[in-house]
Amino acid sequence: MKIGIPRGLLYPKYHIFAKAFFKALGAELIISPATNKKILDEGVKLCADEACLPMKVFHGHVAWLRDRCDALFIPRFMSIEKNEHICPMFCGLIEMLKSNINGLPRVIDEPIYSFHRDKLFKWARRAAAGITSDRQRIKAAFDRAWDMQGRASLGYRDEYDLKIALIGHAYNVFDEFVNMDIRKKLNKMGIGIVTGECVGKSDIEAQAAKLFKKPFWTFAKEYYGAALSIFKNSMADGMIYLSSFSCGIDSVVTELIKIELGDFPFMVLKLDEHTGEAGYNTRLEAFADMLKRRRAGFDNNLSQYGQCGICRTRSLPGA
Amino acid sequence: MGNVAFAARALCQGLEIPYVMPEKNNKGTLVTGAYYSPEEICLPFKIMMGNFLECIERGADTILFVGSCGPCRFGEYSELMMKILRKMEHDIDFIVFDMSPEIGIGEIRRRLGKVLERSPVSLARKLSAVKKAMKIQYLCDRLDRAAYLKAGYEARKGGCKRLLNEYKARLYECQSPEEALNILKLYVKKLASIEIDKSKKPIKIAIIGEIYTVIEPFSNLNIEEKLMDYGVSSERMLTPSWWVKDTALKPLKLNSLRVSRAAAKYLPYPVGGHCKECVGEAYLAGKKAMDGAIQILPMGCMPEIIAKSILPTIQKDTNLPVLTLIVDEVTGEAGFITRVEAFLDMLSSRRKKPDMAS
Repeated sequence: MKIGIPRGLLYPKYHIFAKAFFKALGAELIISPATNKKILDEGVKLCADEACLPMKVFHGHVAWLRDRCDALFIPRFMSIEKNEHICPMFCGLIEMLKSNINGLPRVIDEPIYSFHRDKLFKWARRAAAGITSDRQRIKAAFDRAWDMQGRASLGYRDEYDLKIALIGHAYNVFDEFVNMDIRKKLNKMGIGIVTGECVGKSDIEAQAAKLFKKPFWTFAKEYYGAALSIFKNSMADGMIYLSSFSCGIDSVVTELIKIELGDFPFMVLKLDEHTGEAGYNTRLEAFADMLKRRRAGFDNNLSQYGQCGICRTRSLPGA
Repeated sequence: MGNVAFAARALCQGLEIPYVMPEKNNKGTLVTGAYYSPEEICLPFKIMMGNFLECIERGADTILFVGSCGPCRFGEYSELMMKILRKMEHDIDFIVFDMSPEIGIGEIRRRLGKVLERSPVSLARKLSAVKKAMKIQYLCDRLDRAAYLKAGYEARKGGCKRLLNEYKARLYECQSPEEALNILKLYVKKLASIEIDKSKKPIKIAIIGEIYTVIEPFSNLNIEEKLMDYGVSSERMLTPSWWVKDTALKPLKLNSLRVSRAAAKYLPYPVGGHCKECVGEAYLAGKKAMDGAIQILPMGCMPEIIAKSILPTIQKDTNLPVLTLIVDEVTGEAGFITRVEAFLDMLSSRRKKPDMAS
């Protein structure tokens, strides 16, 4: 049996588990290629216009897999922490896909409540139903996958002199096509990247607990907690929030972060299918220049007309 | 939020708590609200923010607000509003009623106590004030509902609309819950006496979508009134009194059974907001052979985007045309009207030649 796994949305977070689990059950895996222009275009065509970019990209991946596999694994994440949700769109993702894409193969779409090992095992038993009925094998596959996922680590922590904290959804931060390889671009400018994964869970919880109301979105809690921990512990010189256009969670979280940061450099980069690379580069370069100037201590309000912002020598001809 | 203001005011009057009645939502409200709100937040936030700022300017020092615990953005409103108001250096007491299990019953009682301690009247009168407010809400919703439905059948056009506007204007001026109740009873009778022409077969439309934008006429550019002008009957299930009933029955899982059952086929798991209601109502409207449905949502509303993706399937299954209208602070009225008119034209031509329509 061929099982297709779309390389979209939270794939960077769960792929180790999913691959190990289905492989151990004896299924053949087909994984859609890294996001590319064709996948994006196909997704934009199929998905509702108002949905966010990652949802459209995911539609593209599913469309790519449609005729290449016997069953599709599309995780329906309902909740990954107790009494919390992730995002309404994830709960309804499968209905959207079924409605938007014709001729889908069988979909492994049992809801996932992954805050507890036993809960996830229940899912595993149901998900394995069409593949094998050997209980021992399911148990062994699950244990193996659980261990492998437990050992996995995600996130960037570059050792550079200047560092930018990159906050945002995993599907924006780790999809190099969607974020136009922001890490490479920044590294080229001599700036390293620190992602939210560097912050410990207890630090995140501690920051989130300071809010009037504990956020019910796991995402919101994680990004808010990570951003504020990085800011308070001076783990980076600036912060970039990679946000998808019309994302409901981002519209709240970016604002909550912004209110706390004061004059700490913070930039929100919005991504959608119309984001042009030239404008994106310009903003990154300007942000990088600003950070460098701040570091050099020239961050004052004097006009720098006719001067090089960094070495302060008159570098323009005729000036 | 639509006619809720009348009931809320009656409650304050009954409890003898000083209140500030916001102006009817207008462009100024939205401009102020949108200015101080995050750019990408949904329209209800911006309008509410505008209401708060207007009331603060006129002397309000406490804001009562309800909350939810997701997964829709509404649950995070209070957090963000508090922070924005604090940043603007307004010293406001922000009291949030929230169903979240995290808070615990003690905290809810403390917050409720904070409100009730300002009321000098006895417990019996407090209860009667609550009862009267609920009654006002119920009557308002009943009046609205009847008028929107009757508008398609009235013998002389414009009667229903005139009555609706009249009762709202009079309620806005009224000074006590008793007076409000009398006005409402009078208008229920007046509406019943409007002459109807049973031979008419008006177009019938279901209004579905996000609860705030369907209830508050300002946010949906008065769509129901516009439909009345066209002689169209409209029906809407989501009303403030429906919300009260729904919230009360939710813990028992007895809320809106019919709609839940209708939606189950298309949406087996809860996704938050009123997505389930939207999908279920569309399906029921199709089954009842209504002429069409109009879905209204604020730009970026996550649950309604899911609903919008599912609606084409329902359109196919039940042969119900659906028009989706997305509203935000830059929605232009002319383009909005054009779309509604085109939709209505399409519906009436579908009636004449049903086979041509598909």
